[in-house]
Amino acid sequence: MSFQIPIGPQHPALKEPISLRMTVEGEVITGADIRLGYNHRGIEKLAEERNWTQIIYLVERICGICSHSHATCYVQGVEKLMELVPPRRGMYIRYLVAELERVHSHLLWLGVAGHEAGFDSFFMYTWRDREIVMDLLEMISGNRVHYAINTIGGVRRDIDEGQKAKILEGVAILKKRSEYYFHIGASEPSFVGRIAGVGMLSKEQAIALCAVGPTARASGWDRDVRKEDPYAVYDELDFEVATADSCDVLGRVVVRVKELLESYKMIEQMVKGLPDGDIVVKAPRKAKAGEVVSRYEAPRGENIHYIKANGTDKPERLKVRAPTLGNYPATLVMLNKGFIADIPLIFAAIDPCICCAERAVTLVSARSGEESVVTMGDLRRQALARSKNAPVKGNAVWPF
Amino acid sequence: MAVLRTLLYLVVYPGIIFLFAYSTFCEWFDRKIYARLQNRMGPTHTGRFGLLQPIADFFKLLAKEDVVPEAADKRLFSVLPAIGLAVVSTAGLLLPVWNFDLAVPGWTSFPGDIIVMLYLLSLPTLVLFLAAWSSTNIFSTIGGARVLTMLFGYEVPLFLAVLSPAILAGSWRLAEIAAFYQHRPLLLLVNLLGFFVALIAVQAKLERTPFDIPDAETEIVGGTFTEYSGKKLALFRLTFDIELVVASGLLAAVFLGGFPGGAVLGFIQFVPKTLFVVFLLSLIRALTARIRVDQVISFAWKVLTPLAVLQLLATILLKGFLT
Amino acid sequence: MRIAAFLPELLRHLFKKPATVDYPFKKLEVPKDFRGTPYLRPELCIVCRACERDCPAESIEITAVNEAEKRFRMVIHNDRCIHCAQCVDSCPTTPKAMQIDSLYELAADDRHKLKKDWVYVRAVMKPKAPAAPTASSEPTA
Repeated sequence: MSFQIPIGPQHPALKEPISLRMTVEGEVITGADIRLGYNHRGIEKLAEERNWTQIIYLVERICGICSHSHATCYVQGVEKLMELVPPRRGMYIRYLVAELERVHSHLLWLGVAGHEAGFDSFFMYTWRDREIVMDLLEMISGNRVHYAINTIGGVRRDIDEGQKAKILEGVAILKKRSEYYFHIGASEPSFVGRIAGVGMLSKEQAIALCAVGPTARASGWDRDVRKEDPYAVYDELDFEVATADSCDVLGRVVVRVKELLESYKMIEQMVKGLPDGDIVVKAPRKAKAGEVVSRYEAPRGENIHYIKANGTDKPERLKVRAPTLGNYPATLVMLNKGFIADIPLIFAAIDPCICCAERAVTLVSARSGEESVVTMGDLRRQALARSKNAPVKGNAVWPF
Repeated sequence: MAVLRTLLYLVVYPGIIFLFAYSTFCEWFDRKIYARLQNRMGPTHTGRFGLLQPIADFFKLLAKEDVVPEAADKRLFSVLPAIGLAVVSTAGLLLPVWNFDLAVPGWTSFPGDIIVMLYLLSLPTLVLFLAAWSSTNIFSTIGGARVLTMLFGYEVPLFLAVLSPAILAGSWRLAEIAAFYQHRPLLLLVNLLGFFVALIAVQAKLERTPFDIPDAETEIVGGTFTEYSGKKLALFRLTFDIELVVASGLLAAVFLGGFPGGAVLGFIQFVPKTLFVVFLLSLIRALTARIRVDQVISFAWKVLTPLAVLQLLATILLKGFLT
Repeated sequence: MRIAAFLPELLRHLFKKPATVDYPFKKLEVPKDFRGTPYLRPELCIVCRACERDCPAESIEITAVNEAEKRFRMVIHNDRCIHCAQCVDSCPTTPKAMQIDSLYELAADDRHKLKKDWVYVRAVMKPKAPAAPTASSEPTA
């Protein structure tokens, strides 16, 4: 007997509203469908009426967990448009906060994965240790989320010696705890029994469906914007891209914990090698006309911001492609032939930041019931057409 | 006069008021231990140390609006919580705490009462299934199907494990079983394997992690309880609390040597032994993740039942050896 | 795979103090640069309106009460404020006229009670003030 179960828009497994309609037979899923748009706020439209500085705060509030990634991606793009080069110390501080944010996001995700699997003790422990990172971020930037440490041309606050020592201390404690969680996550039988072999996505499927971030890296595909297209300070830091070969939720757990350990290495390198100097360079109020595409490796995958300026102090167009949107087609494939009991785990394994993905460009076709894979192709075709016809002025070569 | 006494027994002690008070105390203990294991505080501010928190939760639920879905079978839907509560309270009457004198058995202690108690503990599962079925909600239907699927897994190991000490003691009466082990406390160690099997099976009966599949919040919203609200939900939660007390009382009576010493001393022994069992159940709850329904069946039949059979064999061999 | 790999850690926590802070009976200290609510120091404000222009939430409103006396009124709408402290960064005077404090317990029943205002005379820019790039320094009449 097959019937349709709606997961969402309101559901205890989801942090934000999204509608997943599963067709099930008994406990096995035979079809899945995603409907978006419940969290659409019109951010891209609002961005057309605010000046460059105000948009930093607007774009930061696309998401609470990856707020710094959106702000940094945007600011990188605007600095390209205004042809500014922020000072080295400013860049180091900016990407130090970025790696701290990656740590906090992955610890949050470990807790959420535990909670979705019913493993509440793991949830409580990882979130307790996440408080260490939140306190560090509060000390650096003045707030636990929405750090607002970027400004066009650099950062707003400096780090002194006492704060550097506290960061190193916090990271040392977290390193021990993360290794312990790695050990638990891989050896607690009831937990591993839930996540091993669940949500399989082979490497070919991941490449064909444009999966991004740890979802793709757990299928053995080593894509990381920080290595392929090193922006800012990442070509000076020594780190590795974390991959796993098991193509399932356990692989995604392993990838994220490995990324945690790599981030601790990077944070230590950045704190110890923090150069001296200014933290900010003065930015003009108006930007020259042009367009820029800015890429950034957020904790969830590749974040893309496209900004077009027309010579005034407000942008002509801001377009955000958040990483979770890139993972939705892969999710539909992963949910097929799974169990109902695995739905929250599979969905949580892509680390969904649903409010990041609420851009309403071409997803109208999803309402008629078509598979989202077609929409992705649509987007790709439009992007190719646009880049062929666009003027070559603001080309996407990274000067840093 | 006898009628008045019976009424007193039924309503005050060991009746509904005592069960209500003690089950809320056990729920408080369970929540506090669970929280402390997770480095949190647990209930703190309601009453001293948060002791009144479960009672406050119960009264809050009583005061909320009671919604009955239109497509549901209204009579069945409304009467099921009361039936569930009645069944577990009756099971509570059979605990060997208050019938302490073997020579003068009360009407709650008779040969075969361990079987009656196990049967009465299986009925709430059926009540849950009917509750899920009469809710006509997709999530409830899945929850109800899972409840019955789990029943096929844990019933057999539970029965086998609880009945092994009874076989060794040579009686089907709880008070006699407890008396047997009070005279020979060393024989309790023989039943250790059965104790662990029974603990895990009881955890499944009470639908707590790792077996809280029918009530899996993150998967099927509320499972069997999705459509219940207000007074009916309050009665269901009370049913589960009393089931916790009854199950831990049963395990304490059969595996931990019962509650000797008469009315007062027996009660004073009842509290720590049941709290010990509740502590172990909370520990299991904090220790594991939730497993899938098919994994429950395979775990129950591949691991629990063979262990229970092993315990049974050991008991029979020992009994033959002793006589 | 070990059975009950988690057990020693769990049992150890029975004897530790809980990690929860019993708010509101006990409060945590906020760090030095915590972004609380903004407030004005009216004797330093030169009414360049940079804060009003740069506020992402449009929560600063400066109106002229009396043009001749150069009397202005600034209202900070704390119900709109997002506590980003951009106003503090945009303020060009030294020492800054816009400051931010550490108050974060701002709950109220009515959002109209959360507005603060100041009525003041525009300050004169001191000639030797170092970084004052705005063009609103008129000579006092």
